[in-house]
Amino acid sequence: MTAETAALTVMDMHKSFGQLKVLRGISVTANDGDVISILGSSGSGKSTFLRCINLLETPDSGTVTVAGETIKMRRRRDGRAEPADRRQVDRIRSELGMVFQSFNLWSHLTVLENLIEGPVHVQKRPRAECVEEARALLAKVGMSERESYYPAHLSGGQQQRAAIARALAMRPKVMLFDEPTSALDPELVGEVLRVMRALAEEGRTMLIVTHEMGFARDVSTRVMFLHQGLVEAEGPPQELFSGATSERFRQFISKERA
Amino acid sequence: MGDLAIFGFGEGGWGLSLLEGAAMTLLVSACGLLIGAAIGGLVAWARLSGKRLAGAVGEGYAALFRGLPELLIVYFVYFGTSTALTETALLFGHEGFIGVPAFAAGALAVGVISGAYQAEVFRAAFLAIAKGELEAAVSVGMNRALMARRIILPQVLRFALPGLGNLWQVALKDSSLISVTGLAELMRVSQVGAGSTHRPFAFYLGGAALYLVMTVITTRVFDIAEARATRGMRRAAV
Amino acid sequence: MDLDFISRTFVRLIAAAPLTLTVWLLSVVFGALIAAGVTWLRVSGVKPFELFARGYVLVFRGTPLLIQLFIVYYGLASLPAVRASFVWPILRDAFNCAVLSLALCTAAYQAEIFRGALLAVPHGQVEAARACGMSGFLLFRRVIFPIAMRHALPPYSTEMISMVKATALVSLVTLWDVMSVALKIRNDTLVTYLPLILAGAIYFVVNYAIGAGFLALERKLTPHLRPRPI
Repeated sequence: MTAETAALTVMDMHKSFGQLKVLRGISVTANDGDVISILGSSGSGKSTFLRCINLLETPDSGTVTVAGETIKMRRRRDGRAEPADRRQVDRIRSELGMVFQSFNLWSHLTVLENLIEGPVHVQKRPRAECVEEARALLAKVGMSERESYYPAHLSGGQQQRAAIARALAMRPKVMLFDEPTSALDPELVGEVLRVMRALAEEGRTMLIVTHEMGFARDVSTRVMFLHQGLVEAEGPPQELFSGATSERFRQFISKERA
Repeated sequence: MGDLAIFGFGEGGWGLSLLEGAAMTLLVSACGLLIGAAIGGLVAWARLSGKRLAGAVGEGYAALFRGLPELLIVYFVYFGTSTALTETALLFGHEGFIGVPAFAAGALAVGVISGAYQAEVFRAAFLAIAKGELEAAVSVGMNRALMARRIILPQVLRFALPGLGNLWQVALKDSSLISVTGLAELMRVSQVGAGSTHRPFAFYLGGAALYLVMTVITTRVFDIAEARATRGMRRAAV
Repeated sequence: MDLDFISRTFVRLIAAAPLTLTVWLLSVVFGALIAAGVTWLRVSGVKPFELFARGYVLVFRGTPLLIQLFIVYYGLASLPAVRASFVWPILRDAFNCAVLSLALCTAAYQAEIFRGALLAVPHGQVEAARACGMSGFLLFRRVIFPIAMRHALPPYSTEMISMVKATALVSLVTLWDVMSVALKIRNDTLVTYLPLILAGAIYFVVNYAIGAGFLALERKLTPHLRPRPI
């Protein structure tokens, strides 16, 4: 597949926080159905990379192309980069679904209201249709009985599953997961991974920053290992996990297992 | 006289009077705050005692004086204490009106109001003391009086400082209401000066500036006190 | 002192209540508008605006309301520049001066409440909204304002009550509010306690009603902060 038809293409992304260079030239191409796990130790830039894709952080240079549309950037007077078209950013964000480490469900809304908020107010779809679709999604993630609960009354695993449904409700082209299970108690991790696995098997395009090695090995179609802002190793999981490619990666997984 | 000359310290200048007024404001506010501390401590103690009647009285006091206008309380205390004093004197055969000194009535009024709010500050400060510290004191063999003096009181004061700093500012501003009693604090002096020189804008602005200076300086003092008192304490993220 | 006197006094006091409440309502509403502006300046990111907003809050919270009231009522009226200008028809009226002064004062307190409320909105929930494609006024309307408003309710209730108490000061600038009438009755009849006690009762009831109203509003708007009913 060429870059024009890929679901998501990132080219040569750079990002610094002050003097600290966090991303030093990262590229990735995700085709439809790709499930890409992004691994690396803290400080390797993996979360920053994900957050630059939907411009929650602004990259210093590099391009992001979603379903053939490239986000237009420009330089400010002080040299810093910024998006050139606010509305394009909003539109592209609505085509990317993001799932956060700390769930970030809107606390004043019920689960159902959380799910229809984006579709109704950003995508301007008819409310009845959004509600129906939301209910179907809640059934898919196993949260049907809790549609009128408030986030504060849910466990972490339940909140994250609701958050995944909320991202799905926007009918995204690509889903971005930022360490979705890192904030969960160990016994709740499984229920979220199960949902994510089902999405992968459905053929969704997913980019997942994670520490869950088992998931990365068993469910991804590709694994990216970041080290100090660069792609240290990339390839099918069997290749990387067998230790055939990167020495650093081998050290990394042995430390994670410990 | 020129605009700024009326604030001067020479002949016909009001500078000295204004500063004296400011000093009076500080004095009456401080006395009010101390009276408020005594009342507040009492009310907090009543509410923490666990005894229903005391708790109800304490809560009632706080609710009452937080629901009434400060100006009304000033009038009530001023006229009320004068009337009470006069009528008591009447019982002893003394005829004629006896007025309570404006300073006393003013400080009492400020104190009565402040006490209602200080009670809540003290109560919250007491509840913030870790139970473990009290248990440690008991297990070391301290009796209640010793524990109160050495462990509870210092901690309560530390936790209460931010709230008290706030209430001090409130007392300073409430003290301006005492001007209706005629006490020569800053508000009253500004008023007299304004009326006497027919320059209300200058005098009230000048008075306001002095209040602002007092507020800023005393806030700084409280901030320093708070920083020193909470040395070594772990603070919750603001 | 007989029942008849008590009821007559009470009626006279109640008759002044509408003025008190009108001053209160107008100053609170105008104050909210001014406070919204000051808050907007404060969070604008533009340094001079921020400094102005901070200065405004410092001055109006650091000086007594009484002196602010006198500056507007006595002070401004004495300036020839003011008398000659287009604001004079407004400022020559004591009622307008009172409302203006009270509004300016409450705006400083309300601005601080608004600022605290905005800071209390969890950053992650704002990010989640942005990640969906929300921005600008939509983001403010659907996420920031609802959450901030719920945080603002308790301190706002306290400020509303403070403002009712503040209206008593308008008695010192010739307005016939509840406080003025109580003092007049005392002067006329030399009865000290009763008019003040009855006036106090009226203020107390008003404040209690406001407090209860806000509590009910809080309960209605924050089911998510209480344990779920089984």
